[in-house]
Amino acid sequence: MQQLGEVSDAQLVTAVARYSEVALAEVYRRHGGAVYGLARRVLNSPAEAEDVTQEVFLRLWNQPDRFDPGRGTLRSFLLAQSHARAVDAIRSLNARRAREAKDAQRTASAEYDMSHEAWDLALADKVSGALADLPEDERRAIELAYFDGRTYVEVAALLDTPEGTVKSRIRNGMRRMRAALVEAGVQGVDA
Amino acid sequence: MMTHQQASELLAVFALDAVDSHEQELIEAHLADCPRCRAELDAHRDVAAALGNSVEQLPEGLWSSIASRLPPRPAEEPPPMPALLREAPASDERPAKRFHRPRPAALRTSRGRLVSVASLAVAAAAVAAVLAVNLVHANDQVSSLRQATPASAVAALRVPGHKVVDVESARHVELAQFVVVPSGQGYLVRSNLPTLSSAKTYQLWGVIDGRAISLGLLGQDPHGATFTLGGGSSRTATLGITVEPAGGSVVPTGTMLAAGTV
Repeated sequence: MQQLGEVSDAQLVTAVARYSEVALAEVYRRHGGAVYGLARRVLNSPAEAEDVTQEVFLRLWNQPDRFDPGRGTLRSFLLAQSHARAVDAIRSLNARRAREAKDAQRTASAEYDMSHEAWDLALADKVSGALADLPEDERRAIELAYFDGRTYVEVAALLDTPEGTVKSRIRNGMRRMRAALVEAGVQGVDA
Repeated sequence: MMTHQQASELLAVFALDAVDSHEQELIEAHLADCPRCRAELDAHRDVAAALGNSVEQLPEGLWSSIASRLPPRPAEEPPPMPALLREAPASDERPAKRFHRPRPAALRTSRGRLVSVASLAVAAAAVAAVLAVNLVHANDQVSSLRQATPASAVAALRVPGHKVVDVESARHVELAQFVVVPSGQGYLVRSNLPTLSSAKTYQLWGVIDGRAISLGLLGQDPHGATFTLGGGSSRTATLGITVEPAGGSVVPTGTMLAAGTV
C-alpha cells in the first residue's frame, strides 16, 4: 500500500497533469499559504493576493509541465510564480497609484504575520537572520527589489546609487544569503 | 542580443523580478542557450524563494474559488473530494471565468521528466484520503500531525464554543481527549494510549458519512498534536484512532481502537 509520506510534490504535479483536482488541492494545502503570504506581502492587499494565488494555481493546472523538478522545489517554483504575478500587478499603472497611496499605512504596519507552522517559522528565522547579517546596502537593495517589487533601475534611483552598483549589491547579497542559508542547513538552497 | 557577461550580471536581479520587460526578454533568450546561466539563476531563485517563504493562513473560501474555475473532471478522474471543505461565504465568491486548458497532447513532452504515470492512480488515491479536512493548512508533512504545546490545548479549552471529544474504547475506557475549536482546529489534550514499537504508529481519522479520512499520524507515543477539521461544517464527524504501520496508511487497516463524536 502506498504510504502517505511517499506522495511527493513531483507525483502530485504529475497527477495534476492528469486533471486530478484532488492533487491540485493537496498542492494548495502544502504551498498555498506560502504563495498567498508572499503575494500579500508584496501587494499589501489581501484581495489582490487572493487573485494572485488563484492565478498561480490555475496556471499550475493549465501548464503543469512548466514545473521542472530538476530545477528546484515545487515551492520555489510556485513562489517565483507568485512573486512575478504580484510584481506584474504592482507595475500596472493603476496598481502603482493605489499602492503609493497605501505607502504610509504600509510603513506603519510593516509587521508580517509569519507562519503558524513551526517549520516555516524556523526557516523564516534563518532567512531573517541571514538577511539581517548582510551589509546594510546589500540588504536594502534586495528588500526594495523583492518585497517592494521595484526594478533595479528604480532601486538605484531611490538609493541615489549607480545602477551597476545596485546590480552588484543585489548579486553579492544573494550569494552571501545563499552561503549563509546553506551553512544554516536550509534545504532547497544547497542543491 | 545580450552577451553572456551582461546576462550574468543581471541574473540575481532577474531572480527577484527586478528587471523591466525588455531586459526580461533578452535574459530569457540568453538563458535558453546558456546552461551555466540557468544553473546560476536556479541558485538565485532558491534564495529568492527562501526570502518569500513565509506562510500565512489562507483566507476562507479561496480554495473553493479556485476549484470553481477548474473544468469538470473527466470520467476517469479520482473520486471527488470529500464534501468537508468549507463552503465559500457569499462575499468571497467571484464571478467564474471561463477557463480553457490545452489538451493533454501539449503536456506529453513534459511527462517524461516527471514521475512515471503509473504512480498516478496511487498518488491520487493517497491524496484523496489525506487532504480532505486538512486543506486549509500549509504543511509539508502529509502524514504527521504538527506538534502543539500543552498551552495551545489549554488555550483552545478557553475558546468559546469549543468541543471536548473523549475518544473511548468499546469498553468506554478513555484513551485520548481532544478539543476542537469552532474554527476547526483541534488539539490532543491528553493521551492514555500505550507507546507502540517504532514499526507502528497511531493514526487519527475523521469519519464522516461512514468514510474515514486521515487527519494525520499521532506517532508511536501521542502527545501535543494539532489537526484541522473543516471549519463551519455542519456535518458530524467522529474522531477515530487506529494502529498502522509506521508511515501510516491511506485507509484504515487496523481496528478503530477508539472513537468520539465531535
